[in-house]
Amino acid sequence: MEPIIELRGLRKHYGSFVAVDGLDLTVQPGDVYGFLGPNGAGKSTTIRMMLSLIRPTAGSISLFGKPLTTHRSEILQRVGAIVERPDFYNYLSARKNLELLGRLSHADVSEKNIMRVLDIVGLEARAGSKVKTFSHGMKQRLGIAQALLHDPDLIVLDEPTTGLDPHGMVDVRNIIVSLARDHQKTILLSSHILPEVELTATRMVIINRGKAIVEGSVQDLLNSGRLKVTVETPEVQRAEQLLRESDFAPYVQSTGEGAIILSLLRGDVHLVTKFLIDHSVHVEGVIPVRSLEEYFINITQEAA
Amino acid sequence: MMLTAIGVELSKVFSKWRTYIGFIALGLLIPVVVVAMGVEGMKYFDFATANLQQMFSFSGNLMNGYTMSYVLLGSLYVHVPFLVTLVAGDILAGEATAGTYRLMLTRPISRFTMVTSKFIAVLIHTNVLVLFLAGLSLGLGVIVLGPGEVIVIRESITIIATDDALWRFALGYGFAALAMTTVASIAFFFSSLVENGIGPIMTTMAIIIVLTIIAAIDVPMFDYIRPFFFTSHMIGWKDFFNQPVAWSSALTSAAVLLVHIVACYVGALFVIQRKDILT
Repeated sequence: MEPIIELRGLRKHYGSFVAVDGLDLTVQPGDVYGFLGPNGAGKSTTIRMMLSLIRPTAGSISLFGKPLTTHRSEILQRVGAIVERPDFYNYLSARKNLELLGRLSHADVSEKNIMRVLDIVGLEARAGSKVKTFSHGMKQRLGIAQALLHDPDLIVLDEPTTGLDPHGMVDVRNIIVSLARDHQKTILLSSHILPEVELTATRMVIINRGKAIVEGSVQDLLNSGRLKVTVETPEVQRAEQLLRESDFAPYVQSTGEGAIILSLLRGDVHLVTKFLIDHSVHVEGVIPVRSLEEYFINITQEAA
Repeated sequence: MMLTAIGVELSKVFSKWRTYIGFIALGLLIPVVVVAMGVEGMKYFDFATANLQQMFSFSGNLMNGYTMSYVLLGSLYVHVPFLVTLVAGDILAGEATAGTYRLMLTRPISRFTMVTSKFIAVLIHTNVLVLFLAGLSLGLGVIVLGPGEVIVIRESITIIATDDALWRFALGYGFAALAMTTVASIAFFFSSLVENGIGPIMTTMAIIIVLTIIAAIDVPMFDYIRPFFFTSHMIGWKDFFNQPVAWSSALTSAAVLLVHIVACYVGALFVIQRKDILT
């Protein structure tokens, strides 16, 4: 299957500062692809290069199997994007903004289509309002609407929930999931909000200092490597003593009131549980606390 | 695609209230001048011809609509540029300020199309403004003061017959449109360099003022550089009110202004083609 996005050796320098350093990335059709990295990792620079807003210093960008340099218009016809802040022509209404932007994308700018996308993002009641009266969250929603207007095959969302309240974040997540599931869109989701990627993405890459550190399916990455586990027990002192005298001693990280925290390989979790039970320790719970957040911090620290 | 882009640009330009500042300013100013000329125009005329009154006698509808329009055109060419730059100086820089370059350039529209459509929108705004100035000053002037001979007072007095006036005004205002387009093009070029619309407006006006002052200072050294100032050629519209028309001078000035316009457009295109959109 032909990749939707293929970056090879992508590089961007600003003088001596290297923003993106030989990045390789492949996004397959149907992926909700998480593009993760701390602030300043090079995510937005990469996205801007993919959308031809910034010229790469070196490397190649292909979308839909075609080089961006020679097929720019054809490619962008099939891409909808939000790049960082949702900025619009504030002196125009939401409807007029969509109409003008849609005309540049050869989109159907009929009232029906404009209201359809405004309905998807819950802004149909404010279609006639000037954008300068919109909150940040409403502009963010309008940003998604403009990205959907021309029914693109690839949607690039750069920090789409930044500045949104919890309700707004959930709404946007639901829209992303719905676009992938119900409309078969391929989505590149750049974010530093990890639960957002964990809850929506199927594959992801983590970049730091312009380089890809790790890439794969979200589940595989979460299941690989060490897992932080909290063992809850009323016999903390005895359990800790047993573990420290066993082969599991190196994995004991800390103890707290009613719990011991261990850093284990996923396959060792049941062995620790069995060890404690075999030694008549009353185990009330074994809770993996490993999340993408934990993984992200570990992996970016290791890379640093 | 180009026509669509031009349509989009015009929609944006004519949706901004700043676009109408020029029309409002001229719409207020010209009627005031027409009324003032109607009431006290002869005093102005007497003052302008004070040295000649002892030798010549003037009679007839001297402060008529045509003469008033001629006087108005001469006095506004320093001020209308400011009204023109309000739109031209903001049209590219305003996208950077608002962060909307991102919206435009992630669409299937080339940078060439974007710059050209914006440039054409600026040309349209500028020329509509000059057309508005011409229509209002001539139309209102003729309605209130009536038609008549154009009394052109410079180093000498030239009297242009009523029947001979309109085509000269057509060419004169056409040239004024070219001059204002030059100003707009300069502001447009500066607009491509910066990310704030105020800078290009101020810079363009500063250049016009400085060059106008230098050109007005009667020092022989400046005689050599004066012909190279675009401001020296902006007054080429006056050549159409010479008797006979100074075609050679007018065409030379028009060519110089055209070169400026093309250079500014190509310069802006070059800048935007190479620009990384970081805002």
